Amino acid sequence: MAHKRLKFLGVVAAVLMVAIACGGGGGGGGNAKQYKIGLVTDIGGLNDKSFNHLAFVGLEKAKADFGIKDDVIESHNGSEYVPNLTNFASKSYDLVIGVGFLMQEAVGTVSGQFPTVHFAIIDGAGTDANFNDLKHSNVQSLYFKEQDAGAMVGAMAGWMEKNGKSKMNHHVISAVGGISIPPVNHYIAGYKWAAKMEDPSIQVLVGYSNDFTDPAKCKGVAQSQINSRSDILFQVAGGCGLGVLQAAGQAGVYSIGVDADQKDADPSVIASALKKVDVATYTSIQNVVKGTFSGGALTFSIANAGAGYAVDNFTVPADLKTELDKIEKQIHDGTLTPPADIPA
Amino acid sequence: MPVGSVILAFVLGAVIVAVTGGNPFAAYSGLLCGGTGLGCQGGENPALQISTTIVYVIPLITTGVAVALPFRAGLFNIGAEGQMIAGMMACTAIGVRFSSLPAPVLLPMVLVGGMAAGALWAGVAGVLKATVGAHEVVTTIMLNYVAQWLLRYLIIGGPLQVAPGTSKSLPIGAGARLATILPADNSLIIFGLPASVYRVHTGLLLALAAAALFAFLLWRTSLGYEIRAVGQSQRAARYAGVSVARTIIVTMLIAGAFSGFAGAIQIAGVDHNLSDVYFTDTTGFDAIAVALLGLGSAVGIVLAAILFGALHAGGAVMQADAGISGSLVFVLQALILFSIAANFVGQIRRLIPGLGRPAALPPELPPAAPLMTEAADPPPEPA
Repeated sequence: MAHKRLKFLGVVAAVLMVAIACGGGGGGGGNAKQYKIGLVTDIGGLNDKSFNHLAFVGLEKAKADFGIKDDVIESHNGSEYVPNLTNFASKSYDLVIGVGFLMQEAVGTVSGQFPTVHFAIIDGAGTDANFNDLKHSNVQSLYFKEQDAGAMVGAMAGWMEKNGKSKMNHHVISAVGGISIPPVNHYIAGYKWAAKMEDPSIQVLVGYSNDFTDPAKCKGVAQSQINSRSDILFQVAGGCGLGVLQAAGQAGVYSIGVDADQKDADPSVIASALKKVDVATYTSIQNVVKGTFSGGALTFSIANAGAGYAVDNFTVPADLKTELDKIEKQIHDGTLTPPADIPA
Repeated sequence: MPVGSVILAFVLGAVIVAVTGGNPFAAYSGLLCGGTGLGCQGGENPALQISTTIVYVIPLITTGVAVALPFRAGLFNIGAEGQMIAGMMACTAIGVRFSSLPAPVLLPMVLVGGMAAGALWAGVAGVLKATVGAHEVVTTIMLNYVAQWLLRYLIIGGPLQVAPGTSKSLPIGAGARLATILPADNSLIIFGLPASVYRVHTGLLLALAAAALFAFLLWRTSLGYEIRAVGQSQRAARYAGVSVARTIIVTMLIAGAFSGFAGAIQIAGVDHNLSDVYFTDTTGFDAIAVALLGLGSAVGIVLAAILFGALHAGGAVMQADAGISGSLVFVLQALILFSIAANFVGQIRRLIPGLGRPAALPPELPPAAPLMTEAADPPPEPA
């Protein structure tokens, strides 16, 4: 036993010595005020092709424009949210950004401990364990008007049904939601509203999978909608919704992606409704650099280029392009306002 | 041998960092700072880093023991993760259901409840091994999935879900919580930061007590002697009058209790509720590496847990300060484990004459591969 203990002390000592010996490099100091921005990803990591990736894109753009010091910590599991946020906050970073609603409680906890550090959180707020917004004045919530993005893809779907450009032209389209919660229903509200505006005879089916992760569940909902003659399916269910895109591809009908550009997810994806997390991240950093940061909600929409759509594996006819540009401009100018609640 | 394995892993890790365009010195400087609070250059608070490391170390010690004990009996417990989650579920269920009870009653209830649930989880594998010969590697891995999906059910649509659309349970009652070592107070400033950021909790003492209990059980009791006897040779143990089947079952029950204890401590000390955080947790798997690196001894496990906890905490700082992905930590952990399993250091010594004697295997514990084959032997009929 004794020699083993010695061996272990040896391990620790060796590790310490190696690391101490190596500790000399680095350093470097700033002269003018250099803003320090820390980004903490959720468990998806930087290469999630979605929110985390887009937040990093916004961070890099801000770095190029403002010369900030930007640092990233990827969370490998949920128990790291608090320590990772605390790491930046304890080093007096000017802004600590948490990506996604999974971090709400962690942001609530850490923002209370560091009232002089600014925090921003995508799609959420700083909350307590029971999801009550703590309304800390140092936390900025970056929300999106999902109905704006939903309206653009809804207008596209409605126009295609009206003009016989979809696969079956039964004047039936559909949406698969994850769980019936506000962000999901905002998307569907804009989608249905705009589709009806384009094609008054259209029928818009809405189903929920009650899941955000299991593609099989969304696939089932999508297949029943296809059986009810839907030929354009809008997924609003995150990872679960990949099943919608697959089901549409297998049935030879069109699908629409959500949140980020999902053109690579399935060839059936003709468009994606976008939350521009990069714009939101950039704006939040800009506010800190310019000294205009304020707590509370900041909402991103077509009007401030924070929401929109992307055309994917599909060539848009010139007429449709004209129509979409017109609607986008009207929403931008406020002459058209997509509803937040799903219309009857 | 473990010293060499760790050093070898760090050297290989440095090569990987250098080859991929990073600076290994900066990487290890960040890792050291994050894990131990030493040599910090990014403005980290050393006390905070030590606290964060200890929070990660606590469950690694207890689950490490839960892997090491069956190891001594020739059993490979891959199920510490599932047993820990079982302990978490029981702890939370009791802590929420009886949330109004005072701490002297409720705290022992949730801790013992967690141990019982973990013991039950591992006991299934133990009984199957002792009666029908189902290999414990297979059964404990499968039981991990059962625990993870049961957790998922409980907090998404199941009875512990706090509200529709959420993936967490209600918090456990105040009486079911382990105190933090420093007061959880945002306005009290300790070491330059609000006291509440130091999350290190009294579960540390429980984990160290568990490690001590493990050593006592193994070396100072007749049960421990039987466990070691079965691990060395089932035939010899049976000849000496030890009931191998009974020893296997009891070993797994105790191991599961240690894992369940880890889970209960984690809920009572850190999280206070069940949440989606534990869908992606790997503590129970890291525990296998901790037990191997610790050579199955209590002191070794504590030291190996400190190393792994420091690596875990250090990864974040390494990424923040040196810009090197925290995933390097997983590479290092894998290299350490790989190096031990393949006995690289011994091979290198053997190949290069004059580098000292070939590495002798530790006397009490055979290397992993023979252990697996021995464990794969069909079990004897219960006496």
